[in-house]
Amino acid sequence: MGGVVPVPERRPGPGEGNPPGGAADLHAAGLPEASVPQTPAPPPYWPLLLLGAAVLPGAVVFLVGRWGDAPAVQAWRTVCLAVTVQALPFLVLGTALSGAINAFVPESVFRRILPRRPVLAVPVAGVAGVVLPGCECASVPVAGSLISRGVTPAAAFAFLLSAPAVNPVVLTATAIAFPGNPAMVLARLLASLATAVAMGWLWLRFGRVEWLRPVARHTGHRAGHSRWDEFRRGFQHDFLHAGGFLVVGAMAAATFNVTVPGSVLDTFSASPWLSVLFLAALAVLLAVCSEADAFLAASLTGFPAVARLAFMVVGPMVDLKLIALQAGTFGRAFAVRFSAATLVVAVACSALVGGVLR
Amino acid sequence: MRRTLQAVPLVLCGLGLLHVSLVTDLYLRYVKEGMRPLLIATGAVLLLLGLASALLDRGANGSDGHGHSGTPGVAWLLLLPALSLLCYAPPALGAYTAARQPAKPVVHQGDFGPLPSASPLPMTLSDFTSRVREDRGQAIKGRVVRMTGFVTPGDGGEWELTRLVLNCCAADARSVKVRVHGGPVPPADTWVTVTGTWHPGGTLGTASAPVALDARTVTKVPRPTNGYQDALPPGESVAR
Repeated sequence: MGGVVPVPERRPGPGEGNPPGGAADLHAAGLPEASVPQTPAPPPYWPLLLLGAAVLPGAVVFLVGRWGDAPAVQAWRTVCLAVTVQALPFLVLGTALSGAINAFVPESVFRRILPRRPVLAVPVAGVAGVVLPGCECASVPVAGSLISRGVTPAAAFAFLLSAPAVNPVVLTATAIAFPGNPAMVLARLLASLATAVAMGWLWLRFGRVEWLRPVARHTGHRAGHSRWDEFRRGFQHDFLHAGGFLVVGAMAAATFNVTVPGSVLDTFSASPWLSVLFLAALAVLLAVCSEADAFLAASLTGFPAVARLAFMVVGPMVDLKLIALQAGTFGRAFAVRFSAATLVVAVACSALVGGVLR
Repeated sequence: MRRTLQAVPLVLCGLGLLHVSLVTDLYLRYVKEGMRPLLIATGAVLLLLGLASALLDRGANGSDGHGHSGTPGVAWLLLLPALSLLCYAPPALGAYTAARQPAKPVVHQGDFGPLPSASPLPMTLSDFTSRVREDRGQAIKGRVVRMTGFVTPGDGGEWELTRLVLNCCAADARSVKVRVHGGPVPPADTWVTVTGTWHPGGTLGTASAPVALDARTVTKVPRPTNGYQDALPPGESVAR
């Protein structure tokens, strides 16, 4: 699965005069893409786009002026911006890495590192997640570029899931958050690895390629192109793409954060099963970055240890901003199925590991 | 998004991050102090990337055989945080957030030593909470203490001296609160230093004791640069 879709060279057809400079002038005027003669036919909804462009800024200015200073709106904006600002450095790291993999690492490297048989490649890739320091935003673009470089998707997904949870930075943070309780660190490591590998194998058995959007952008290094230029373009493309979806995820997390009062945190802690499910759902909705979720888990003192473990296992693998990022990179059909399955597997693994290590 | 326009969100994001981290201290409203070098580096990288794109991709108009030169329109959403950071930065979280969540459970590690003899005694809100709730020796009894935080108005003529504490970013802020009795309620989000004594009730040193203070003086103070930490009142560096 190389993910490389051959794109036919475009030649100007008889009807597309395309005078030299004409396209560039239109770009400079900032007209919507639809009116540029290079695209075969303008999409039918382009008048709507124009109308939106005309009406939206005015509406936004009006609404901001009207409600922008209400405490709830300010809190929403602060939380939204906080999630974005916190995630941007890691997103830049991840997209730079993905651009570098695309431009500098030949495919043969992955063939040599990973076992040939996908069944064995999955656990190796899961353990390899240790090397990517950072939180979950960095791992999505990297996994995307791994797939386009010929790594079997199952192995790339195992890496995607394990990297944000088992790297040294996150494990150290967990050890600091739970002083004198090394079993929690071990439990997090084991449950996260188990979930990542199980999801990789599940994908091998049940996954379908057509759920994945073809990643046509990552063509790898091609002769005649400067590697640095390819790196820069890949980095830029991936960052813009993932950054937009990060903002979507941050908005969703901020909406939840502001509309649901924090007092919900301290309910549901009575029944162990309910509390596991509740904290797992909370991890999805809160979208706290994986380097910090251990501290939040440690502060949820009313909950049993298994539930707090579930919070730390689910959080780095499934959350609102991650679903948005995955939808952007791999397509919506994939993100929905994969996140739902991961949630179930992660809860099961943390219940198992938590039960054994109790 | 056309390649020629891709430089716009990149440059603005870079400038926004540099503005809040390098030029001003605004980043402290959203994340912890330790993020500063990362934010400056990220801002510089994005700015350079955007400038490089603006200079090098000027001639290219997307027909270089890639086919997928355009980026989906969702990338334009990056303009929202970028412009917000540059010219409309929202304030730090305050009374609105604190009023909607219960106080964070404060756990004291180890034994309680004797309190320093200074009077009024400068304390953090967390220290006061654990002394009231967990110190069986009741060392806090009758002591005049001094604490700084912001005002979260409650109902019934009382208010809470509050601090919000971050683990990672403002999305996970948890509050530490001390209820204050006596005197008029200052406006919400005002930063104040309060001196007073523990407000009796329940059994001191157990969970039944109210984390509350009978105020003697309430003075307005300027907001500290880093508001998201439970620190001693400004100007105090007394060893605890």
